[in-house]
Amino acid sequence: MYFAGVDIGSTMTKTVLMDTNNKVVSAIKGPTGPEHRQLANEVMKMALEQANLQLDDISYIVATGYGRLNVPFADRQITELTCHARGVLSLFPDVRTAIDIGGQDAKCMKINSGKLVNFVMNDKCAAGTGRFLEILAATLGIKLEDLGDISLKSTKKVQISNFCTIFAQQEVVSRLSEGEKLEDIIAGLHDALASRVAGLARRLKIEPDVVLTGGVAKNAGIVKAMKENLGCELLIPEDPLLTGALGAAILAKERFSKATAKGEPIPTKPRRLEKATFFTKETS
Amino acid sequence: MAWFIGIDIGSLYSKGVIIKDDELSAYYITLSGANYRTAAETIRQELLTKANLTQDYITDIVATGSGASSVYFASKKASDIVCTARGINSIFPSARTIIDVAGQSTKAMRIDRQGLVANFAVTEKCAAGGGRFIEVIANVLRIDLKDFGPLSLHSESPITFSTGCAVFGESEAITRVAEGIPKEDIAAGVNKALADKISSLARKIALEEPCAICGGGALNIGLIKSVENTLNIQLLIPPQPQITTALGAAITARTSSLKR
Repeated sequence: MYFAGVDIGSTMTKTVLMDTNNKVVSAIKGPTGPEHRQLANEVMKMALEQANLQLDDISYIVATGYGRLNVPFADRQITELTCHARGVLSLFPDVRTAIDIGGQDAKCMKINSGKLVNFVMNDKCAAGTGRFLEILAATLGIKLEDLGDISLKSTKKVQISNFCTIFAQQEVVSRLSEGEKLEDIIAGLHDALASRVAGLARRLKIEPDVVLTGGVAKNAGIVKAMKENLGCELLIPEDPLLTGALGAAILAKERFSKATAKGEPIPTKPRRLEKATFFTKETS
Repeated sequence: MAWFIGIDIGSLYSKGVIIKDDELSAYYITLSGANYRTAAETIRQELLTKANLTQDYITDIVATGSGASSVYFASKKASDIVCTARGINSIFPSARTIIDVAGQSTKAMRIDRQGLVANFAVTEKCAAGGGRFIEVIANVLRIDLKDFGPLSLHSESPITFSTGCAVFGESEAITRVAEGIPKEDIAAGVNKALADKISSLARKIALEEPCAICGGGALNIGLIKSVENTLNIQLLIPPQPQITTALGAAITARTSSLKR
């Protein structure tokens, strides 16, 4: 038996296929793009090919993330907070604080005795999310994935305001024209993002172990800046993008196993990879 | 006769005025650009040319705005809030509240009869809280900034922005354009979003009428109407709302030289 988790984020779509022993048999990431519905199908198709499986082989599918309603073949939708917490817990059982920096939001979760007990999030302002780095990388003409390594060369970071992406863009241009070094500016940007997210996290009481996830966690400069701003060590999953999808797959297995153990019927969607004609309603 | 210059170096635009005693002789507005010193120098030259004067006629120069320290030839710097209040007070002596919609932020202030500031509130440096939001969306809609206000007045159903962020607002505007929503509804939605922020700022300082509006944002008639509707008041608008603070700086120059 196999289970699937599909996480449609604002920027990336992630799919994890898992067997009954919680072993990941395939994991695929692709851009979300403007047409979530089509791309969810594409990413699922790739995941199935990688594991050499058919959609019929998947017993239960959970969709999560901001585009979770746009997965026509998902049997159930679960919020990204629940899925993230579950995914992080499966990798780091001692986690108490989980911070996820997504493409367009940032979430901080408090976990206690294996349960999500509190959270704060910012989805109202681009500063303090992946979008901040994306825009500023474009302003600097540097690839997003190169920011981290360049920033590590910095010896003195340039102060950049953490309040507004648009004004940070203006500041970066001014600092460049004043002759500041690229690595110092990028280090300043990382610090601006990290201080914003750390401020959010401090609204919950930060307790170790602290785990950092989301695409931004792949940037070594951000990890360094987050450690400095939080004043503690950070645990990072091997693939920080996949925790939401992983959590969704685990929850799929748990819900399915619980229902079958009780002998309850568990409704599933037709196993067809087709384009949705319209948003499917969230099932409860 | 004596002439005084006030120069206001803002984040986006730099403004200068030259006054002869009580009377405005000339004004000049230019982009601040990357070098504020150059902007300040250009303004001084243009003002002198426009007023047909040489530097020798100028009794005093006062600088204000975020780039005030770049006006190396000014004899003194003055706070932009004080200058805005003085500028409005000279045009509308009855005004008790001022809303200044600038490029980077919006200010609201209460002033007394003498034009002294009693209380004020400023938005954070957030693009969605000032004129920059309008620029960002005008760019998405490919319309000229000066057409933004008049266009928005044609809207019958303004869109509602689900976010308070100019970056996310930009994406939202692009989505609405793709959905075929008319430009005027998007423009009116932007004005409404900004008007809501401005209004809550004005309420914070317990707005008292008459209320004047100035800054570049006051050039946007759609924004003015939207603020008027939200607060249910009539706003006083100076003929050149962008130069109010520079005017206040020139008045400050005159006042301090009279004291001497």
